[in-house]
Amino acid sequence: MEFTIRAANVDDCKDIERMIMELAECEKAIDEVKITKRDLEQDGFSKNPFFHGIIVEVPERHKTKEGHTKVGYALYFFSYSSFKGRAVFMEDLYVMPEFRGKGIGKALMSKVAQLGLAAGCQQLNFTVLDWNKPSLDFYFSQGCTDITAEKGYHYMCCKGEALEHLAQP
Amino acid sequence: MANYILRKAEPKDVTDILRLIKELAKFEEMEEQVKLTEKDLLDDGFGDHPFYHCLVAEVPQEQQSPEGYNVIAFAMYYFTYDPWIGKLLYLEDFYVMEDYRGYGIGSKILKLLSEVNLNIAVKTRSSSMHFIVAENNTKSIEFYKRRGAADLSSEEGWRLFAIDKEDLMKMTAK
Repeated sequence: MEFTIRAANVDDCKDIERMIMELAECEKAIDEVKITKRDLEQDGFSKNPFFHGIIVEVPERHKTKEGHTKVGYALYFFSYSSFKGRAVFMEDLYVMPEFRGKGIGKALMSKVAQLGLAAGCQQLNFTVLDWNKPSLDFYFSQGCTDITAEKGYHYMCCKGEALEHLAQP
Repeated sequence: MANYILRKAEPKDVTDILRLIKELAKFEEMEEQVKLTEKDLLDDGFGDHPFYHCLVAEVPQEQQSPEGYNVIAFAMYYFTYDPWIGKLLYLEDFYVMEDYRGYGIGSKILKLLSEVNLNIAVKTRSSSMHFIVAENNTKSIEFYKRRGAADLSSEEGWRLFAIDKEDLMKMTAK
């Protein structure tokens, strides 16, 4: 199937928001999405963006029954490893269900890798839920390592009340 | 030992930052994995678009370490993005030299970071600080859990993955 991959622009935020919700639904966490299209526009497309996006588009004749031609995306940002230096973190990677199995996910990830290498990155990181077997299988086939399993690294967070409490004198 | 200041790192601090990165790596038994140089830290932290930010703790001359160091703690962090909630703060490294622990320096650093974290969040949206801890580092895990941190790997099943440069290049060649 024909598809193109390109950098996201501010006009893509409506479709990015839609697909973020679809991905959240897959991860059974739709209630946790608080972000709006406006947030994405401000946070991704101002002078100092907090994230970058790439979009997959298919020609009109392959559009979904709802009329969407934007059928996949990846969100990434640059991070830093105190061991190796510049790194890239792939925050979201998503292809709409009816467009899977055609190499689109692989192409998206390859694009993030390319962009990361071009920026001088030594490593690409991301997280996966332990029950997401199709994704785990895909990532292992690409040569990825499960750092949590191999090195016992646990991903932690401090948010909401705990964060506010931490900021108290 | 009461006197110390917490401040933003400056270019002149890169020697101490690298030293502290290596000390922390040694503690994690991964010292040989540190490939960063002072030049990398300078280019990546103090250019137009820094890849990281750093806070350091400095003590006066009379409290310097036996080797003569004044910079005795640091935190390296950067901003990330969660498509569900927005801007986050990621704490990459956080370390206080052994002789300077137990005086509240670590807690003070975390407090400052939380303030930075809350400042980047718009009032209507919550924010969050993320970081990783090795599961065998029970002292640190307890330190963080006492402060309300959640272990997303245990509680929600998130696993952290990595691909190194060699495999990244293979991926782009396909």
